[in-house]
Amino acid sequence: MATDPPSDNLPLAEVLRGANGLVAAGLIEDWALGGALATIYYVEPFTTYDADIFFIPKDKGLTAGIPAIYAHLQTQGWQVEREHLLVRGFPVQFLAAHGLTEEAVREAERIDYEGVPAKVFRAEHIVAIAASVGRAKDKARIEQLLQQADLDRTYLENVLHRHNLRLPKL
Amino acid sequence: MKAEMRQKLARESFEEKTRKVAQLIRLAKTFPRRPRPTHAHPQGK
Repeated sequence: MATDPPSDNLPLAEVLRGANGLVAAGLIEDWALGGALATIYYVEPFTTYDADIFFIPKDKGLTAGIPAIYAHLQTQGWQVEREHLLVRGFPVQFLAAHGLTEEAVREAERIDYEGVPAKVFRAEHIVAIAASVGRAKDKARIEQLLQQADLDRTYLENVLHRHNLRLPKL
Repeated sequence: MKAEMRQKLARESFEEKTRKVAQLIRLAKTFPRRPRPTHAHPQGK
């Protein structure tokens, strides 16, 4: 199972560098950080045990090019454990984006993390994705973002409207 | 935690916040949550 990373931080820079490498290798079109770590970009930190990388596949087939992605990252020293890839013991999931998540990748915010160029979902897209999933933890995520992130309400309304979504009652 | 403190944490750099996530993970591994004691069902004794 996963072991603690030796440094005092998550190996996120290595994760982002790996994702950039997939674009450079022509295996994916684009990518962005989503899920809990993207939420943490906008709100107070909380415990999460993995990183979710949403990617727009170049291979539009059934596997979305996942086997080639895994093979490429393994040559870079990443390990495979069930559905996760591991970087220094930290699990990373690569998820093929489509529909709302593809839009979230395309419109993601560009950031610099420890010198690594990266993209992170906009807070408004995280809210919309959480509204579309609707689990208890998604409602909590929406509440937290509404309280702590500087949301563009017009942008959010537009995303929700285009994807036929509504915010849950909190 | 007070709302102002939470807001202050939310405003920290992403790098600082991921460092705190790493600390939280280490703490969770060091002090894992114990399952809550359940009351035995009287007929289950």
